Formats: sequence, structure tokens, C-alpha cells
Amino acid sequence: MSEDERYRTSTQYRYWSYTPDSLAELRTTTNRIAADRVREAVQSAREAAVVSSAETSETENGSRAATAIQYIKRFYITNSLMTYHPTSILKTALFFATKTENHYFRLTKFADAIGKTTPEDVLASEFLLTQGLRFTFDVRHPFRALEGAVMELQAMANGQIPAADKPWEGREMGKRVKDAHGKAREYLKTSALLTDVYFHFTPSQIMMASLLIADPDLLTWYIGVKLPAEPMREKVMMTLEDCSSILRTVEPTSQPSGDELKELKRLAKKLNKCRNPEKMDLVGLQRAKREGEDGEEEKAIKKRKLEREKSAREGDDLFGPALTKNES
Amino acid sequence: MAVSPLVFPPAPADKNAGAKLSKLSNQGFNGAAPEGPSASSGTRDLAEQMNEEEKQKYVKGKKLGEGTYANVYLGHLRDDPKRLVAIKKIKIQKEYTEGMAPDAVRELKHLQEISHPNIISLLSVFSSKDQNLNLVLEYLPLGDLEMLIKDVEGVRYGAADIKAWMGMLSRAIWFCHENFVLHRDIKPNNLLIAADGEVKLADFGLARSFSDPYRIMTSNVITRWYRPPELLFGAKHYSGAVDIWSVGLVFAELVIRTPYIAGDTEVGQVNLICQAVGTPTEENWPGVSKLPEYAVPDPPNPIRGRDQYLGTFGTAGQEGVDLLMAMLILDPRKRITAREVLQHPWWASEPKPTRKQDLPRKEGGAEKIGEDLKRRPGILDDERGAKVARKLDFGKM
Repeated sequence: MSEDERYRTSTQYRYWSYTPDSLAELRTTTNRIAADRVREAVQSAREAAVVSSAETSETENGSRAATAIQYIKRFYITNSLMTYHPTSILKTALFFATKTENHYFRLTKFADAIGKTTPEDVLASEFLLTQGLRFTFDVRHPFRALEGAVMELQAMANGQIPAADKPWEGREMGKRVKDAHGKAREYLKTSALLTDVYFHFTPSQIMMASLLIADPDLLTWYIGVKLPAEPMREKVMMTLEDCSSILRTVEPTSQPSGDELKELKRLAKKLNKCRNPEKMDLVGLQRAKREGEDGEEEKAIKKRKLEREKSAREGDDLFGPALTKNES
Repeated sequence: MAVSPLVFPPAPADKNAGAKLSKLSNQGFNGAAPEGPSASSGTRDLAEQMNEEEKQKYVKGKKLGEGTYANVYLGHLRDDPKRLVAIKKIKIQKEYTEGMAPDAVRELKHLQEISHPNIISLLSVFSSKDQNLNLVLEYLPLGDLEMLIKDVEGVRYGAADIKAWMGMLSRAIWFCHENFVLHRDIKPNNLLIAADGEVKLADFGLARSFSDPYRIMTSNVITRWYRPPELLFGAKHYSGAVDIWSVGLVFAELVIRTPYIAGDTEVGQVNLICQAVGTPTEENWPGVSKLPEYAVPDPPNPIRGRDQYLGTFGTAGQEGVDLLMAMLILDPRKRITAREVLQHPWWASEPKPTRKQDLPRKEGGAEKIGEDLKRRPGILDDERGAKVARKLDFGKM
């Protein structure tokens, strides 16, 4: 199965891909003023999400925040901002993304932590959100694609993968790839989420377009290696140009603003502080309660002990101890 | 990259009749597209209208099964009463107060993406007034594999039939893995049978996408009898190999017509694996003793040899036994992959798999689909009582 075949079966392609015209028309239908305010809401969401997950690893928080943002963007295609206020949808989207991206966060903790919010507030629009998403929850991001391309480019740089007509010597190319990686990632984490590229392009196109911005010479050479034959090469390059020009409309350095954002930042920080300590224990208690099985608590104690011993053991491991949160 | 982005989404296949956005954008909604902000004029939002339209396509009929997690109804298309569907209505659960149930989220997320002849089709999703989720699934009236396996008196089948069923299961799991989805609950009563005899893998309530490197997963998945040793030992990083072990045990069960490794507890399950397959040790599985809950009875049993397998599973033939042994390799890194399963010489050897319309069948499947679809994932049937909660809840993640 090729990457393309797989992508064409995804709901992202079947339900959530549009031409610029059809998307504009839909948005007009839903709400004439939607687009700008969605961007505003999305900006806030991104900030909140990024802040709230600052302590988790790069790819993890990347996809959870990015998923929440796409949910919001998809939701407001068919729901009016006049009807549903972005801040409430935003909290719900962040919470719901923790479910769909396997990063669950207890609802009560989530609500307590962000303050001025009850669990009911968060849940109030959950169903609405899922309906607006047409019950499709899978979002295909370009982040993994970038890691893959960078690995391949690095392997070309150091000769593990032979590449003819390499215009740079190994070390220089390695440095270039590294720089391009960092810059491209910034575009994926910001520009790609705040513009409409997810609606118009595939994840691999978005990824390549971000590399095109980051290092045009490198990317042009890379595409030439992968697709030596015309007219495909030129066709692909044109698509990437289109995508990158949309990406450039929101530079990674542009700062969102507004009171809403400040408030969200504050909430997100609080949320973050409340997150880790004792979570496992509360969860264990909750589980024991639910299962109502005798001896469950004993089992939990034993398990915690095992886990402590395990992390002591794994402390010596090459990769350090296993993470003990957020498993799913 | 060959996909041109500048196209409308393809016209929805009948599977996803909900995909009407592109059409809507051209025509407005039934000629009543709101001119301005829809709410201010009292019109329902587009999303709500679409949901209503979806709901109107189906007629809900008699109840096929009732459970704590879901009720299952027989239904049909309003326009074509001969086209039957199963409507799984997810109940709002009293004990789960955190919104949409985890099982439903997982099931929806993955079934929406996956379309394959050997995987149950999700035809549509809509919500009813009370905010209950309704999953419209294809109607599979011939019960499940467990039903056939258990009815030793009433249903006779042979090596060719087993090969046909295993072929369909193997293609289903290959497709899941090819799409980076782990099913994590393969067992005979999740393998439903369509009117034409096609086997369909169902119940994606425990499924998840492959994890990123270093990102941990819970080991508390897969119904115990079908759970591989790495999960019983508490591994937090694992692969499609977990599903393959389950497939192997379904294979074994099809041959001997009783669950092959049926432990009463997790410890019991490990002990039985040590007897039936062999004891996992550092020799046959480097690193196993470092798994968090590694514990095996002393003294270790050697890995069971081919002759012993031939003694028990001889009906499957030499090649069949070879495949079974490859699926039940203790070390998940050495276990056969779904792709390799499909390339195995067993499929091409005699006997040829039975054509699906000639496969043995059994009446009474309508009740069975009701039973199967309403069940919580991850549990054994005889444990469906009050003391068993679902194996996976978000709290443990």
C-alpha cells in the first residue's frame, strides 16, 4: 500500500479536503465573518496548547495541540462563531484531543486546573464538537513526515544512502539538513496550523513545502533525486510552491495577541502545574472504586511497588527509565 | 505526493454517505442555505442539519441486544427496506462521567479510517436527540466464529474451512497494521460473519495507532486468553506482534475447537503459556527478564517442538503447523509479522481454502450480532458480571 493510497482512504482526504473556492463558499454559508475569528481562536488555542504541554516531549505535545487546532478549524466550517463562543469550544477541543491522541487527562483535574471552569463547562460542548467534526477524529499531521525526510537526508549526507550528484560534501550537508529541520519544524508548528494548508494539501506536501521555505536549494535537489522525471517533478514543485506561499502568510515569529490569549496562557500555566503529581494515585483509586473488586487496592499497592523497583532498575538503562504517565 | 490537493473530496462511497460537504457548498443546503449567521436567523447550524439528514436515512427496528455499554438494533435504509444495518447506540454511562466514552472514541476514530472487506464497515454515525451516539454498522447475520467453534455437534468443518477463515482474519489484521492500527482485542467472538460467509473483524474499542518511539502504551489490553506474553509481563512498548499472538490462538482454537490457553488469572495464563509453548527465558527471548512483571514458574520448560505441535494440530498440516508455530514465537521481535503471514506457503498448499459461500454456517446469528456489538471490549464472556470492569479506561493512560 502506498502512502498516497493510504491517504486517499483517510477522512482527512475524503471529508476535510477542499479547493480554496469551495472552502470559502462553505465558510460564507456558515458565517460570513468566520474566517478571521477562527484564526483568532486558533491562535489562542495554539498558544494555550503549547504552553500547557511545554513539559512533554516535542512530538507528543506537537500532535495533541495540533489536533485540537484542526478540530477547531473543522468545527467552524459548519458551525457559526455567532452561536458558539470560541473559548468554550477551545477548552473542549483541547480536552477531546487528549482523548483521541492517547494523552488522557482527568476531566475534573483539567477543569479544576484551568479554573473558572467546571467539568460541565468542558463537557457541555463535547458532543457538539464531535458532531461538528462529523465524528471523524483522526488528523494526519506532517510532523512524522518531516522526521522521516530529515533522517533520509542525513543518511544521504553521511553516505549511508548513496545519492548521485551531491552538491555538498557530507559535513556541510549535514549541517544544512539540521538547520533546515529546525526551521521547517517551526513552520509546521505554527504556519501550517494557522493557515488552511491542511484543507488543501497532503501532509507530505505540507512537510516538503516547509522544507522548501527552510532551504530551497536543499529541497529542490532532494525532489530532483526522488523524482528525476518530468513532468512529475515540475508538477510537484508547483504544488509545493503553492503550499509554501500559503504557509508564508503567517510567519512563525508572528505573535498572537488579545486578552483572551493572556487569560488562556494564565490558565494553561496553572493547568500545567497541577498536572503531574499524584496523578497515578488518583487514577488508581478511581480504578479500584470502579472495579469494586476485593484486593484491588492491594494489587495496586503491589503494582506501584513493582513500578518503583522497575524505574530504579531502568534508571541504569541506556535510554533512562520509562515514562510512567500517559500510557494508553 | 501524486495526490492533487485541488480537487473536491471524491463523491462519497455508499460507506460514507455523510460526506456531503462539497455538494452542499455547490448547491446550498436544500436550497435553504443561511444567508448570514445562521443562529441569528433561527436556522439550525449546518452541522446539525447534516446530522439530521443522516439520521433520516435509517429506520431503527427491533432491539437485538442490550448491554451496559450499548444497545444494538436491527435497522434498514429508509429508501430501501431490504438493506439491513445494525445500529449500535452507545449508552450514556453512569459510571463514566467524562463525556464520550473511551471505547466509543477509539472505535469511531479507527473505523472511520479503515475500509476493508474483512473489517466491519461503519456506514454512518449520527446522534439522536438525547445526545446518544448511533453507529450504523453493516449487518452481519451469521453470528461469529466462536459460535461455530463451540457447536462441535452441530457444525462440522475441516482444514479447508479453517484456512478460509484464517485467510480472512489474516488479511484484516494485515490491513490494520498497514494502516498503523493495533486492534488489541482479537478473539473468536470479535470475528463476525456476513450473509455471504465473509469474516469481518469487529470491535475497535481497544484499538489505537502505533505509538511513537519512546512513547509508552498500556499493557492492559487484549482479552486474557489471547494476550501475548509481553503484555502479561507488563511491556509498555510493543508492536503488531501482540495481535499476531492472538491470531495464532484463534488459529489453534479453530483446530482443536476449544480455547488453547485459557488461564483463570494472569498468573495462570503465564503458567499455561509456559506449558503449552515453552518458558520465556533470556536464551529464547533476550531481555525478557527485564520486563516489569516478568515471573515464570521454575523449572523452565523447553520450547515445544514441531512434533508436539503436529500431535495436537496435525489437522492443519505441516505448513499450517509451521505457520502456527511462527505466530506463537515467544519473543515478539521474532514472531511472524502480518505481511509475512500472508506470504506463508500454507495458503498455497493443499487443501485450497473453501469458497466463502460454501463455508459451514449456523442459524441464530441475529441474536449473536446483538451480543457481540454491545459487549465491552477486552473481557471474557463468562466474566461479564458486575465485578469486571472494562480492561482499559482512560484513567490508566
